[in-house]
Amino acid sequence: MYACLYRPPAPDTPGDHRGSGGAELAREIVGAELARPIAVVAIAREFSPRYECQGDDLVTIDVSGLGRLLGPPQTIGEELRRESAARGVRVQVAVAGTQMAAHLLARSHPGLTVIAPGEEAAALASIPIAILAKCDAHRTQSLQGPQRKPAFANAEYSALAAVTAFTRWGLKTLGDLAALPPADLVSRMGRPALAWQAMARGEDLRPLVPMLEEERFESSLDLEWPIEGLEPLSFVLTRLLEPLSTRLERRDRGAAVLHVILRLVQGPEPCEIHARRLELPTPLRDVRTLRTLALLDLESHPPAAAIECVTVVIDPTPGRVLQHALFTRAHPTPEQLSTLLARLGAVMGQDRIGAPATVDSHRPGAFATMPFATEHRHHDDHERRARGARKEGAQPSAISHQPSAIHEPLTSALRRCRQPVPARVAVSDGRPVRVTTDRREFAGGAVLHSAGPWRTSGEWWLDSHQPLAISHPSAMSHEPSAIPSAPWDRDEWDVALGDGAVYRIFQERERGAWFIDAIVD
Amino acid sequence: MALPREHFESLLRARQLDRTLTTAIPAADTRDESTLAPSSLDVLDARLGGGFPRGQLSEIVGARSSGRASLMLRMLAAATARGELTALVDVVDMLDVESASAAGIDLSRLLWIRGHVVVHPGPCRDLNQRALEQAIRALTLVLQAGNFGLVVFDVGEAPADAIRRLPFTTWLRLQRMVEGSQTTCVLVGGEAMARSSAGLTLKLTQELTQKLTHELAQKLTQKVAPRGIRFGHGWFDGIDVEARIVRARAREREDVRVSVSTTCA
Repeated sequence: MYACLYRPPAPDTPGDHRGSGGAELAREIVGAELARPIAVVAIAREFSPRYECQGDDLVTIDVSGLGRLLGPPQTIGEELRRESAARGVRVQVAVAGTQMAAHLLARSHPGLTVIAPGEEAAALASIPIAILAKCDAHRTQSLQGPQRKPAFANAEYSALAAVTAFTRWGLKTLGDLAALPPADLVSRMGRPALAWQAMARGEDLRPLVPMLEEERFESSLDLEWPIEGLEPLSFVLTRLLEPLSTRLERRDRGAAVLHVILRLVQGPEPCEIHARRLELPTPLRDVRTLRTLALLDLESHPPAAAIECVTVVIDPTPGRVLQHALFTRAHPTPEQLSTLLARLGAVMGQDRIGAPATVDSHRPGAFATMPFATEHRHHDDHERRARGARKEGAQPSAISHQPSAIHEPLTSALRRCRQPVPARVAVSDGRPVRVTTDRREFAGGAVLHSAGPWRTSGEWWLDSHQPLAISHPSAMSHEPSAIPSAPWDRDEWDVALGDGAVYRIFQERERGAWFIDAIVD
Repeated sequence: MALPREHFESLLRARQLDRTLTTAIPAADTRDESTLAPSSLDVLDARLGGGFPRGQLSEIVGARSSGRASLMLRMLAAATARGELTALVDVVDMLDVESASAAGIDLSRLLWIRGHVVVHPGPCRDLNQRALEQAIRALTLVLQAGNFGLVVFDVGEAPADAIRRLPFTTWLRLQRMVEGSQTTCVLVGGEAMARSSAGLTLKLTQELTQKLTHELAQKLTQKVAPRGIRFGHGWFDGIDVEARIVRARAREREDVRVSVSTTCA
């Protein structure tokens, strides 16, 4: 037996309120709208764990086992209505032997309708055929949930097109459709028409798919004696995270976000809560990794007082699927990399680690740092080479180490001085002939050879106090100049000094000051 | 009763205390390509027997403008081209990202750790020392994480006295951490640091730079660059570098010289 609860749309829709109400009223409406579907599902949950939510306003419940507890189907239906009324939700209830019959009856008949098993087709016979369009629209809407797509739902035989065709044939009720010879129906509309006829007869197209309640991964521990410091907290975190990790593993889930909520001992401020939120780069469920990340974060943001209650909440996400390769070198696992990045961030500072990136700028030395990815694909070329080597019957090797494809000559590299070093430069015939600095490390000397000048300028169109635009939304831009956002206008020279070093120096054209910008190395 | 030398050495080896006394670390087997990380410079790799050894602490040392950074970036490029993850502990924060990109590094596979050591510490030398120890700690963390193909510790322009003040056991500890792993750890600096912990030390010099002092007066009058530095018609062209293996676990490769030239990107 199945019961169906349908909440018909209220006569006073939210749109009526919006014109007259203020912000508070709008909030109330939003709150009520959010609450209503939850109320329907909550009623279903009170009666059976086997229920299927089909949209915001309709839920089908398997009430097969409730006879011994509540009584006959009529009593079950009345109990459902009573519970709904107690919760302030106006619903139409139908109890029938099939889901489809309960569904159609709940939509079409107000109040309570109870149909004995086997009488579904007769009960549905008088219902107007247009209800099939509503059912299909409703089913399409419910596809956003975990429900599967009906077999007959395709563009060619959409509900509206089918109902239009049936109406054109002169069919007015579900009983008319149910009475048609199936063979003739299929010959005109194809096999999907059988599904429409089955619906009209109140036959189920698929079994009930019970909804799994969204599991909340939360664990909390009240401490009789408040703890101070992170070392004792690590034991508490382990104790909280272990069962959560086990549950995540059972559900094939990983942690996407880790919330650590610490209730502190009553201080000057009432009910002080220290909450930290860690967004994990990859789904994780390893207890040690999660604990280490939480502790490293708390090291950077320690609580202000002793802790009397620890709560850990995990936002789950589907687990990772890994396929390891035999012929490629192993990478650090995402867990290892996440921990490493967190540790490095604690040691060096979060802004000092990442993957370098070039930026779309002519400013000398401009760069950006991107967050270092914790998951890297194995190099396709390398895999291809490894496969090729295997195909050619090369000497088997555990890991292929073919020399890389770089056969270009060695490129001269620069070492950038993030803060250009002020220099004194003697100029003769427009060319630098001697470079000296006050810095012991840059002794300087006579210029043996020089190349230049190369004039470069930029961002003179910007306000000097305006910060530079960041080239990538997630990038942190770092500029090497002492005045990062200032425009630049300089003449650059490459000079070889008597000490054997080659420098890139530049002269600021506006002030005439000289600087060492980089070392060729 | 005095222990025979063989027994003494075997006891030390059992406790892994033989590093400073003997050459107990087995040399990288040149026939096994999994123990080597090629630099993709064919001439250099041929002299090194295939590349830099994995599981050992190697060094690239040289004076300023001797091609250290160029070789370092080439090694990183070769490692990322092989699909490996790499890390660069940039102690003085002097990496030029444009140069790295021009060298062919897959930047998404390079973990860049920017240190706080400054070239000109002024009176705050203790601050510099702490920053250097911080960088060593970062290197330790990276090596502990494991499975990086190449980890570079670049102290190229860091003050030499700060590096010398690091305890000798630092390098011994790092060698122990990298030993047996598939990671190539390379120290880049002005002078040799790891001493007996180093597996391979490559000393870079500008070709024939040593004659510079004798020829300096003449060059100053002639206004030509030292012979290791090439200038074209109005632009800097590159550096001719001589790489010399001054220390290697495989003694047969010691004191081998290789000439390499850099070019401007």
